[in-house]
Amino acid sequence: MRKELPLLVTILTGLFVIFGHDFAIGEKWQLINAMDKWQTISQAFALLIGAVNLTRIHVNHIRRRKAGYIFSLLLLVALWGYTALGVVEGYKGQNFRWLYNALLVQLDSTIFSLLAFYIATAAYRAFRIRTVEATLLLVSAAIVMLGRAPIGEAIWKGFPDWANWIMRFPNTAAMRAVLIGAYLGSFVTVLRILLGIERAHLGGVGGAGMK
Amino acid sequence: MTIWTKGMVVDFWFIVAIGIVTYVLITRARAGMKIPEIRKIAGLEALEESIGRATEMGRPVHATPGLGGISAPETFAFFNTLGYIAQLCAKYDCRLIQTNRNYLVHSVNEEIIKQAYLEAGRPDAYNPDDVRYLSGFQFGYTSALLGMFAREKPAANIMIGYFYAESLILAEAGAQIGAIQIAGTTSTAQLPFFVAACDYTLIGEEIYAASAYISKNPVLLGTVVGEDWFKILVFLTIIVGTVITNVIADPKKNPLTSWILK
Repeated sequence: MRKELPLLVTILTGLFVIFGHDFAIGEKWQLINAMDKWQTISQAFALLIGAVNLTRIHVNHIRRRKAGYIFSLLLLVALWGYTALGVVEGYKGQNFRWLYNALLVQLDSTIFSLLAFYIATAAYRAFRIRTVEATLLLVSAAIVMLGRAPIGEAIWKGFPDWANWIMRFPNTAAMRAVLIGAYLGSFVTVLRILLGIERAHLGGVGGAGMK
Repeated sequence: MTIWTKGMVVDFWFIVAIGIVTYVLITRARAGMKIPEIRKIAGLEALEESIGRATEMGRPVHATPGLGGISAPETFAFFNTLGYIAQLCAKYDCRLIQTNRNYLVHSVNEEIIKQAYLEAGRPDAYNPDDVRYLSGFQFGYTSALLGMFAREKPAANIMIGYFYAESLILAEAGAQIGAIQIAGTTSTAQLPFFVAACDYTLIGEEIYAASAYISKNPVLLGTVVGEDWFKILVFLTIIVGTVITNVIADPKKNPLTSWILK
């Protein structure tokens, strides 16, 4: 039953979604909306699992006095302190909002800004001319960059048109080919799960057992 | 009153058709009939090599499904690969660190790894502290992972799932610590970053073929072949659509468009 019951729930849920999406009566009964609400409720319950896992790991760090355990302590204070503040003040509370905007949003932006530096190192690696493909990549990237930046148009008026052509035709064609393959792949994966052939999500190696 | 939701008729029959084709191929495979082979996927071939290298170096292996939630098909592609990765790590006695941004995905991953260690006959080697929920925030998760990379220096970094702007940050951080990196996603915006920064990249549909490819199980291979047949059908439809659109300029009079939007 440990595997059969979740499998049955998976199959019924899959059929429920197809019925809700494709059949007029499913749309009339707003089955997909109901499904979304159930998912939100189940996610709210599962949030506790994440918090418990984090707490368990970091309590262990503190107990064993692992290197940097002070950061584990800080994490636990932030996690449970912020939760307590939210419970006391509510999510519209002044201090709760201030901590969010003054700390979390700023930290988020800081990590995001690292991307600018990483793009430079990745571009250097990608644009080294070693093969014909790398040369093509370098030339097309140079045209797109010049076409998108004002300096490109100042150098030659044709750069924006060339950049647009590269983005609209070869780039879009390649992206769509990848997407069509990905959609079909995801569809077949869903079908394998619905038919019970793929069971990795129920634990263990599922269909991908070692040879 | 019509039976189907507007615009969903083709969608429904497409599901039925692909279901029938897949069923036929599965039946053929079960009956021992010949199933066409699928091409070599370098990224999947490299999984064992990367875990072997990590074992030799005495450093851990890291695996992540990215930011996709429990309902993302890419996350299921990760689930299908994770059991294999965990079993290899158990077999080679290599530490596996698995990090998550979604708590539901975390629970499933925990179960997959625990079960894989059990199936490999090494339940004692399973460490629950190495399956980690880091943060629900995109960049909170990213910064936690950057810290983990710097402290624990995994020798193999496997990223299969759905990624957003953090893809390049993670891939570059992995490259800087000298990890062998295998990445796979369907996100066309992040694929170029993975191609630039990782050793092997699984492009789009390749991540879904993982379980079939790894196991060489004819039933699973049959479903991949069914998918390829439909890909040919979709591309033929595109060619026919292009021809019809060039002949009939008015989209309202285009029979293919009206049929698809029915």
